[in-house]
Amino acid sequence: MAPPQLQHVNLSPAELSFLRSTLCQDPPIRFDHTKGPKDFRSMRAEYDVLPGANGSARIALEDGTEALVGVKAEVEKSQWRPSGDAQLRDADADANDKDAKAKGQNSWMEMSVEIPGFRDDDALPVFLASMLTESLLASGGLKDRLYINSRFHWKLYIDVGGSFLVHISMLTVQILLLSPPLSYPLALLSMTTHLALLTSRLPALKSDKDEDPLFDDDWDAAVFLYPKSKANASEDKPPVIVLAMAVGPNIIFDPCMEELAVADAVLAIACANATASSSRARIVSVRTIDPPSHLTPPGVPNSMNSATGGTVPASSAEALTQRELFANSGVWTPPRGGMKRGLISQVVKMVVEEGGVAEEVISALHAIELG
Amino acid sequence: MPLDTSTYSLALLRLDGRRWNELRNIHAQISTQAAADGSSYLEMGNTKILCTVTGPAEGRQSGQRGGRDNEAKVEVEIGFAGFSGLERRKRKNDKRTSEMQHTLETAYSSLLLTHLYPHSTITLNIHILSQDGSLLAACINAATLALIDAGVPMTDYLVACTAASSATSADSDNSDPLLDLNNLEEQELPFLTVGTLGRSDRVSVLLMETRVRMERVEGMLAVGIDGCKRMREILDGVVKDYGKRFS
Repeated sequence: MAPPQLQHVNLSPAELSFLRSTLCQDPPIRFDHTKGPKDFRSMRAEYDVLPGANGSARIALEDGTEALVGVKAEVEKSQWRPSGDAQLRDADADANDKDAKAKGQNSWMEMSVEIPGFRDDDALPVFLASMLTESLLASGGLKDRLYINSRFHWKLYIDVGGSFLVHISMLTVQILLLSPPLSYPLALLSMTTHLALLTSRLPALKSDKDEDPLFDDDWDAAVFLYPKSKANASEDKPPVIVLAMAVGPNIIFDPCMEELAVADAVLAIACANATASSSRARIVSVRTIDPPSHLTPPGVPNSMNSATGGTVPASSAEALTQRELFANSGVWTPPRGGMKRGLISQVVKMVVEEGGVAEEVISALHAIELG
Repeated sequence: MPLDTSTYSLALLRLDGRRWNELRNIHAQISTQAAADGSSYLEMGNTKILCTVTGPAEGRQSGQRGGRDNEAKVEVEIGFAGFSGLERRKRKNDKRTSEMQHTLETAYSSLLLTHLYPHSTITLNIHILSQDGSLLAACINAATLALIDAGVPMTDYLVACTAASSATSADSDNSDPLLDLNNLEEQELPFLTVGTLGRSDRVSVLLMETRVRMERVEGMLAVGIDGCKRMREILDGVVKDYGKRFS
């Protein structure tokens, strides 16, 4: 059996062409015409939904796509690394604290994405998990906070997934719940992970430096994984990934499945909030994603269709050259190539600017937690 | 024996403060997932379960689409979330899970009016979000609610409960049976899971994996069946409350 794929949208070339031309207008008219290019789809979010996890969150989009994230931390013995630790410990006590700053290791965080209908080692879950991990590790801070002492550390398990729902799932066996089809799930998973990490707590440490760790068993005394401070602006928060897509001259954020089907290029941008060192939102990582539009079937122009008085090209090479000529005639041809540099810089600017998309999304997720 | 329940005989209160015949706090919702044909969310104490139903729909396999004899096939898929237990553990198709799936499949194949849907499949997808005892019972209750939400015809509610025998020493004859166990009690006491059809005393599911003295089983069964009747009232209330929204 072929590996499962994101389900394709069933739109005809004519529909695709129409959708693209509306999205290319100025201002663009989106699939949901009430939304502007920077608007996100509405969603329901809640956190602390699971009693057994250190942190958890659930976000459901209107279309039924749903993600659930659980964060679980376990104490693990650190591997002894022969790196002159003894000398460091002999130095004054402050050095030990400073030391903790760079003590985190990437392997202390493990993420797994589970999408019903996909195996663990299928491309999509693996790819999504590595993208999410990458941005979390790149934003710094987190892994160092998992350090307990020179012998122990927290091991953080982040389990993403659960329930993606699909309207039409003929794919019964495991899949009842599946729905990558309803748009690319990366942004949703990232936001849910963000919310779960933001509300994750670790038991407060009672023991001193290198003793065997002993924790306060009062959950109310637990400390937040991302410490909270009064001054909102400078506190460290987990990064969040937003999807941006380019159609012609326009840039559209949080595209839905139908819109992705006509995208020229799609960017996944992981951004973190402003910290003490930087006054504005920062970009942690950027990746391009192969848009599903590359796989859509091209339309057949009248001049190439014998039924409408045209002539069918004799060879496939001839067909290709003819199609080149029709590239801008309104007959649907799947987009090729990547993204222009100018567009990328425009996207980056829209994300990081004052009051830009990054700031908006992060503060919106923060507001959920406050309120 | 990880715990000592000998205190039970002193105050006749269990570890979480319940009496012998009390159910845990039960909270249930139906139609939680807009995109599924039927869905439910059930909490029994700290056991939390999300169930969705797809179908009756055409099966995926190209060969046999439905069950035998022109009846619909019932498929059950149970997934444990990595964070559901005390320790994080990945559970993959172990024997206990497939046994639970099989139990549910056979129970619902006989309960649902499957002859109305030839050549089709009804798929139940159960996600265990948090586990604290009475897992099979909670799965059955959640599945019943989801099937009702999906509108799959069935003759009555299939509801389930667990019951245990509290005596830890062999000679104490006056032992109370206990209803609706949590995880700690399950590890310590012999218990059974019983599922009945609605108000009747007809037992449809009965599973017992621990050893217990023969004469105690009757008491455990009686308490379990009694618990099922109360469970039915609770689930019925959930369904009717949901229905009132449309009246």
